[in-house]
Amino acid sequence: MTPVGARAGVVVLRLAVLIAVLVLATRGAHMIREALNLQSRPDSKQQVHRAIMFGAVAYVGLLALPFVPGAETGLAMLATFGPGIAPLIYVATVASMTLAYTVGRFLPIGAPERLLSLLRMRRAAGLVARAAPLSREERLAVLLDGQPKRALSLGLRYRYIALALALNTPGNSIIGGGGGIMMMAGLRRIFSPVPTFLTVAVAVSPVPLAVMFFGLQI
Amino acid sequence: MTQILQIAAIALATLGTGAATMTVMNEDIPDLAVPEGERSADSILDGLSFEIFGTDVGSGAVLEDQIIFGDGTFQSVDCQNYWDFGWSDYETKVVDDVIHFSARTICPDAPHIVVWYGTVDGNTVAVDATWTTRRWYWTNQIAIIATGASVPAVDAAAAG
Repeated sequence: MTPVGARAGVVVLRLAVLIAVLVLATRGAHMIREALNLQSRPDSKQQVHRAIMFGAVAYVGLLALPFVPGAETGLAMLATFGPGIAPLIYVATVASMTLAYTVGRFLPIGAPERLLSLLRMRRAAGLVARAAPLSREERLAVLLDGQPKRALSLGLRYRYIALALALNTPGNSIIGGGGGIMMMAGLRRIFSPVPTFLTVAVAVSPVPLAVMFFGLQI
Repeated sequence: MTQILQIAAIALATLGTGAATMTVMNEDIPDLAVPEGERSADSILDGLSFEIFGTDVGSGAVLEDQIIFGDGTFQSVDCQNYWDFGWSDYETKVVDDVIHFSARTICPDAPHIVVWYGTVDGNTVAVDATWTTRRWYWTNQIAIIATGASVPAVDAAAAG
């Protein structure tokens, strides 16, 4: 097999594995949904309401923390309660990202690190400690870790696009996840509040909007 | 002080944008459309009670309930037990000896509206209903179809 053919084979194999994982995750989510019996019925409406409120608060809190895969909580809620919950997930995601950004921007530089250490989140505290002394360009480079060179070059010139790319990069939890990225974005004031807010509002919209408007089944 | 104002501004912007987003994106689901036609509140079903068996159209869940008519008002025993709906006015019209009734019941303590439309033919009943919950974060609706037969009337006070 030629190198080009081998590369294509690897891509196809990766795609197949990804699809298999997605199918298994979907089936798992439905099994969990059935096991929890959390469908909205006349006799379970209050429990459903409480579950949604608790889930939304937990989602905002978890997603704002670095290295915590909070997005899965949102996907689990979408899988459990269906497309009707998409607007809430979207708003909660924006609120969570804004919260992380606000913590990074306005708390004293050592405060997030101390808070995360107190919570025994050593990796997250280490990330904040490493990011604190970096220059703006170095911090952007950390945010774009793992991106192709072209994306890196684009990101360095257009930092808000870089931020949106970082938030949407699969597996971004290795660089801190959404919460870690936004906390770093807030540190040392690399990003201004209004454009950052608008960037987040656009960047986190694809999944919930697709679920809502196209009725995608998760 | 400036920082506190900035944090407050960010919080307000987030809340405001969130509220606006929810208002725009949270699509309403209309209640059950009751067929048009002149109906009157003539209480002709008073004293009747029906045991009904039906399904939640969306989930396929089996539902069992009892509906009661008395003093020009209507009550679902399940609605009363789960959410304390109380009694609601009902209206009827008669077409070829079949009594068509409708009732719009509103939960006093939570944003639930249940709209009922049914036909009583002899001692049997067929019912369509929607249970719509309109909360700030979503609108959720359960569509129900059911049939049943008359049973001895229960004491209204005991049911409520």
